[in-house]
Amino acid sequence: MNPLSESLESLLHRAQHSLWRGGEIARSDARTTGYRTLDERLPGGGWPTGALIEISPQCEGLGELRLTLPALRAWCEEGRNVAFVRPPHIPYAPALVRYGLTLKSLIWVVADLDEDARWAAEQLLREGAAAVLLWSAVREDRALRRLQLAAEAGKSCAFLYRPPALLSQASPAAVRIALSAADAGVCLDLVKVRGGRSGRLTLPLAAPAT
Amino acid sequence: MLWISLHLPCLAIEIQPPDETAPTAVTDGSGARRRVIACNAAARAAGIAAGMDVPAAMMRVPELRLSDRSRSDERRALNAVAGWAHQFTSDVCLDLARWMLWMEVGSSLRYFNGLSTVHGRIREGIAQLGYTALPGVAPTMEAAALLTRHPDLLPVLNKSDLRPTLAPLPLAGLDIPSTAIDQLHTAGLRTVADLLSVPPQSLARRFGEELTQYLQRLLGDRADVRRRHRQPLVYRRRLDVESVESVEGLLFPLRRILQELEGYLRGRDLAIQQLMVTLRHRGEAQTALRLVTSAPERSASRLFALLREKLDRIRLEEAVEAIQLGADEFVEPRILQGDFFDDHQRESESWSALLDKLRARLGADAVRRLGLSDDHRPENAWCVVEEGKAPALEGELPDRPLWFLPEPRPINTLPQLLGTPERIEAGWWAGQDVRRDYYLARTDSGAHWWLFREAGTNRWYLQGLWA
Repeated sequence: MNPLSESLESLLHRAQHSLWRGGEIARSDARTTGYRTLDERLPGGGWPTGALIEISPQCEGLGELRLTLPALRAWCEEGRNVAFVRPPHIPYAPALVRYGLTLKSLIWVVADLDEDARWAAEQLLREGAAAVLLWSAVREDRALRRLQLAAEAGKSCAFLYRPPALLSQASPAAVRIALSAADAGVCLDLVKVRGGRSGRLTLPLAAPAT
Repeated sequence: MLWISLHLPCLAIEIQPPDETAPTAVTDGSGARRRVIACNAAARAAGIAAGMDVPAAMMRVPELRLSDRSRSDERRALNAVAGWAHQFTSDVCLDLARWMLWMEVGSSLRYFNGLSTVHGRIREGIAQLGYTALPGVAPTMEAAALLTRHPDLLPVLNKSDLRPTLAPLPLAGLDIPSTAIDQLHTAGLRTVADLLSVPPQSLARRFGEELTQYLQRLLGDRADVRRRHRQPLVYRRRLDVESVESVEGLLFPLRRILQELEGYLRGRDLAIQQLMVTLRHRGEAQTALRLVTSAPERSASRLFALLREKLDRIRLEEAVEAIQLGADEFVEPRILQGDFFDDHQRESESWSALLDKLRARLGADAVRRLGLSDDHRPENAWCVVEEGKAPALEGELPDRPLWFLPEPRPINTLPQLLGTPERIEAGWWAGQDVRRDYYLARTDSGAHWWLFREAGTNRWYLQGLWA
């Protein structure tokens, strides 16, 4: 061990109570995802509230919505509002109920234009919806920042569903997740986790009954 | 009885949208007798005053913009203010010729916590409507009207104080013809006290019964019988504007007429959930906007915000010549007891206001609530429910995909089918025969699909995704 790294180690050791290390998970407000292995990777131990969270599934039907269901269910139970903004298909009420969501806590916003959908999402975030799930193909950094700010203002979770091609672009999102299929469940590639640990993990999502 | 009288001395100019920069005046009469009856602040600052004849005014301010008065616009505006005033009392009178309005507040003082509160509310409200108003308070209507001319005098609350308060006032503010005032001056009479010292019989002989009766009404010695202003049962308001080409130009008049509407609704203790706003263009053309709110509403500011969202979405193809507001159906207002309603209600209120805002911009159908229907056919097992109606039927349900495709998508290459099929047979009684075998399938990329085959055929369709 060279002397320089030795002194650095001892310095870190002495200062460990007053120093934040990059690898440690920063404190923040969060809501458990319902998946322990995922919570461990995220700052505060769950979906960060007041933040933008990107989810990019490789294709539809992988479990991109099931991933958020435990948190959505908890918000519904508290009587908080959850909004689906411009989803690609009809959110199917019989399934939502079966997965434990309360329909009267849910709002489904239909919009022709991406821009309208983003505007609606911003309003809902600011007004304090617990979570807004927005499907948008927007590329502009400014639009993403607006969503991030709205989430901060309302202390809400903004889940943004984006095409995977956009993962190569930089983003102000606090968490960015690429989803792909795994043998039992779904594979999460945590591309970015502000204040947490990026990397891959596999989650056993509630599988459809056969 | 205690009357608050409001004189709107600038009504003729203030019914137009405000223009701070260009000196503007409204005139009455024509030819040599055309004179200024009201002007804006810019004109006043340049030395223009009501009563000035037009040549003199033009001499002083050559760039002065003149327009003829519109008595019908004045009438509509004053009637709307009267409608608004009903929120303070059910007793409202108006005098179009004098731009004067009266409200009897004696019986509602207790409700409003005293004169200064109701006075303050009226003053604030009138300012929000965008009018200048001079108030007068007295036990008789004419005394209240006279006091509007003397803003330095305190309100007169008792009939016994009327005579001593009015006695030293000059004749100029009395509601008697100016020729009569000139004659009285010539006779050496200067004040109300002078006038009252003349025996009524000789006054009547000289100036007619009108004068003596007026003085009796002024002092409360004679009943002042007037027609009361009545609240119409449906709300209609038309406001003519001068060829407004931009939405921005509509905001001032809209804010005003929505304030009036709020006052009207408060007066009737009602609210609305639907409002028709029609923008009239030249000829028969018009742009109709229908505002629907999810909860009973009467707040002008919230209605304005909703309307604003709608207006931002339309393009004015033509200039607007008039705005019309119409409300036919009224509902009970939400029960809000002053400041006592709790945070939860406040929260749900701002939430429903937000949903209204979204609907105003994106369309009434854009914000939906989901519900279940008791039907085996997957396409009929769900529905959109009306706001405020609790979705019923939340019970045991079979496993279903989270995404549903309303139009089943035909598929050519079949993915790997999992498990056993579920036969769904229903709807024959409704003429929509459905016999399908539903399968769960897993695609090569690992997605879970919900497929069906029409029984007895080899046609496959995708109807859902386990997102």
